[in-house]
Amino acid sequence: MFISGMNGSAGAVLVETTQKRGFTAEELALSCAAKIISVASNADPVIRQQAEAFKSTIEQVVLMYLKQTAKSERTTIYNLVLDAGEMALAEQIRRL
Amino acid sequence: MAFTGNFMCTSFKKELMTATHNFTNSTGNTFKISLYDNSASFTAATTAYTSTNEITGTGYSAGGGTLVNVTPTSSGTTGYTDFSDFTWSTATITARGALIYNDTASGDPTVVVLDFLSDKTSTAGDFKIVFPTDDASNAIIRIA
Repeated sequence: MFISGMNGSAGAVLVETTQKRGFTAEELALSCAAKIISVASNADPVIRQQAEAFKSTIEQVVLMYLKQTAKSERTTIYNLVLDAGEMALAEQIRRL
Repeated sequence: MAFTGNFMCTSFKKELMTATHNFTNSTGNTFKISLYDNSASFTAATTAYTSTNEITGTGYSAGGGTLVNVTPTSSGTTGYTDFSDFTWSTATITARGALIYNDTASGDPTVVVLDFLSDKTSTAGDFKIVFPTDDASNAIIRIA
């Protein structure tokens, strides 16, 4: 007799929140690297070490590009605000 | 009346056998995540989205947010799927748990119940749902 079994499972989510600010580039880079590279806790120590090192490198690369994105976005917003005649506000945005 | 853990809804398991859900990226159904306070009492017996005990707050709209599907895949004998992380931005909200449901299917059938284990609050900030690693051991939806 053949019996087919199915076991369905729901994973657990993590909730991250901020108060009176958005996530920083550092926080987002950490999340991004964790999403790209997952290292099993029972992995061989040598492989685990290599994976962690690679993960750290990825995090730094992502962080650099996130910071660049923020700067570029600010430049765009600065020019939009400047074009709207809000010079003081534009200057504040430029100095962020 | 409270959240008591994470559940894959029993009705969802049945609906898998009637082709009710399609998790394919871009071309699949629209799945949403809605947030609730701890007065909600969802279990595996929960069958559909409800606005009862759904939270309200700045930056949150009734019905919740639309998720981005990750096309299902398999590893070994386990089939699984995932969603992209979801963020409510500039939100002032408090939630204890969530429902993921199929907004395309008739009746908004539920997929899973998520328990945050404690109230989570954002104040004029970001409220982010981080889904687990998309693999056979951790993915948000796994069929083994």
